[in-house]
Amino acid sequence: MNDSLITLRNLTKQYDATTRAIDNLTLNFHKGEWTSIMGPSGSGKTTLLNILGCLDIPTTGTVTINGTDITTITAQQLTCFRRNQIGLIFQQYHLVPYLTSLENVMLAQYYHKTINEQKAIDVLHRVGLAHRLHHVPAHLSGGEQQRVCIARALINDPKILLADEPTGNLDQKNGDIVLRLIQELREEGHTIILVTHNEDIGRLGDRLVRLIDGRIASDIRIEKKGVSS
Amino acid sequence: MFTRILSKSLRKRKTKIILAILAVVIGASTATALLNISYDVTDKVSLQFSKYGANLLVTPHTDTIPVGFPGVDIGTVTDQRYINESDLWKIKTIYWRNNVLGFAPYLYQVVTATTPTTHQQIVLTGTYFNKTLDITTPYSPHDLPTFTTGVRQISPWWHLNGGWITDPNDTTNAMIGTTVATTLNLTIGQTFTITYQDQTTPKTSINLTVLGIITTNGNEDNQIFVNLPVAQTLTNRPGKIHTIQVSALCNACPVDTFAAEITTAIPGVDAKSVKQLVNVEMDLLTRIRSMMFLVTAVALFASALGVMTTMITGVIERQKEIGLMKSVGAENHQITALFLSEAAIIGIIGGLIGYLAGLLLAHLIGLSVFSVTISPHLEVLPIAIGLAIGVTLLSSIIPVRRAIHVEPAIVLRGE
Repeated sequence: MNDSLITLRNLTKQYDATTRAIDNLTLNFHKGEWTSIMGPSGSGKTTLLNILGCLDIPTTGTVTINGTDITTITAQQLTCFRRNQIGLIFQQYHLVPYLTSLENVMLAQYYHKTINEQKAIDVLHRVGLAHRLHHVPAHLSGGEQQRVCIARALINDPKILLADEPTGNLDQKNGDIVLRLIQELREEGHTIILVTHNEDIGRLGDRLVRLIDGRIASDIRIEKKGVSS
Repeated sequence: MFTRILSKSLRKRKTKIILAILAVVIGASTATALLNISYDVTDKVSLQFSKYGANLLVTPHTDTIPVGFPGVDIGTVTDQRYINESDLWKIKTIYWRNNVLGFAPYLYQVVTATTPTTHQQIVLTGTYFNKTLDITTPYSPHDLPTFTTGVRQISPWWHLNGGWITDPNDTTNAMIGTTVATTLNLTIGQTFTITYQDQTTPKTSINLTVLGIITTNGNEDNQIFVNLPVAQTLTNRPGKIHTIQVSALCNACPVDTFAAEITTAIPGVDAKSVKQLVNVEMDLLTRIRSMMFLVTAVALFASALGVMTTMITGVIERQKEIGLMKSVGAENHQITALFLSEAAIIGIIGGLIGYLAGLLLAHLIGLSVFSVTISPHLEVLPIAIGLAIGVTLLSSIIPVRRAIHVEPAIVLRGE
């Protein structure tokens, strides 16, 4: 088994007296592994992803990522940690509407360290958008927007990629393109945590964790891999 | 990258930005207009006030003698005295001489005016209309040796039908008040006779032709005006005058000191400032200035509300964008810098346009309200832009606070 990159210990996220999204969860994520997280709506998938992405903090428990317990650091340190360690891929892409593909990727560079336009062009080339560098999101298809989103997530060389229903808004063809890209990233050694409702997509990873009511219902290793069709 | 984000963000929302700029323009133009007016109006309105008449009255010094029985005061009697016409030039030899815009002597006498159809007791006033005096001993060698003055200088507001008496030696023409013209049924060019007689002198008469009819809506409407020597000869008071009216530019000059200097320069006179007029003048200017600052404050407040509304709407509409920026590593100070820079740009553009619009507004207000031309003051430009930027930055405090409290986990949540 690979080394543990992320360790969750007794993690609980409670929004109010009656709403507990994550319930005493203990879980490890391993370096270079693609873990799919599945579960019905309200099972705590997105909350878990937000906590792993340093966008939310747990009520109790610890989250150790690459040796740092993110529950003990300040909000500013959390922001800094996120931009250095984590790439986020959203179901709705969340591109800045008035910036071009290239500028949307460079935006992540700007808030990270320094801007390297050639590197941003290379990453967009890598996701197959060399011909769409100067197009704004409104002039891109959903699949192209998602690939810009992936390029933005990759631009700062994060150790961890978190994807929340990355093909949820895409048709089959574009969905396949995006999934192939994620598989390539996994093969290159990125640690990927992907939330999905789709069983076929969930089984593309190395491991499938099912959540129900904020708890682990099952945690299995996937033997067979392939792109759904 | 920051400037690219900033410029594209502004261009993307140009309609809303233009509305915010317009809100700033309203405040900045009002501030510019009123500041320009405030700079100019004090001197110009003061000069304007001086056109409405004299503000110092010089009279002969009189001693009052109480009369009555022991224990019973029944009043006072005064000795009739005059000012010597030959002392008039001395008014232009005081320290504040350059603030003396003009003066005119007056000699009054009730006479009988007779026309072919009627006769009436009327006040005859001898004065200067436009006379050049020699300044025998100037205060400074640089001072001009002569000074031209008279009612034309101190009463330019008289409404005149006909012409002025221009020759100081003219003994045949008169200017009459509009009430006199009506009472005696006189028109321009007609001739009438005035007669004077008292207990010590024989009856004297003179024929006068109406050269002009004046309307002031004051006492002048009931008087007949002639050159001073005509009145002096008719009433046998050569070289004598009753009063001198002095028009002085009195913005911030010490009127009382002014009056005291005249008293010193001309022996045997009392000089009193027409305090009421001066006070009204200063009070009005103070009120105008207060009103200007109030209007400016209200306009700036309205601008602030307009900008704040636009900025808050912008933050609400851009919540996902802000959340996205935070999710890719933007810190609060970077989000704050973006919004405050937008506000500052709105302030600078609004301030510049507001300054130009304010100059036009000042010009229009100056002409229509004060009847003066307001000069553009360049020193108002940094104040206008500073106020505009201040207003936009202050209006951005609440929107920026709202922006930095955006929770990416909430606004980026999938649907």
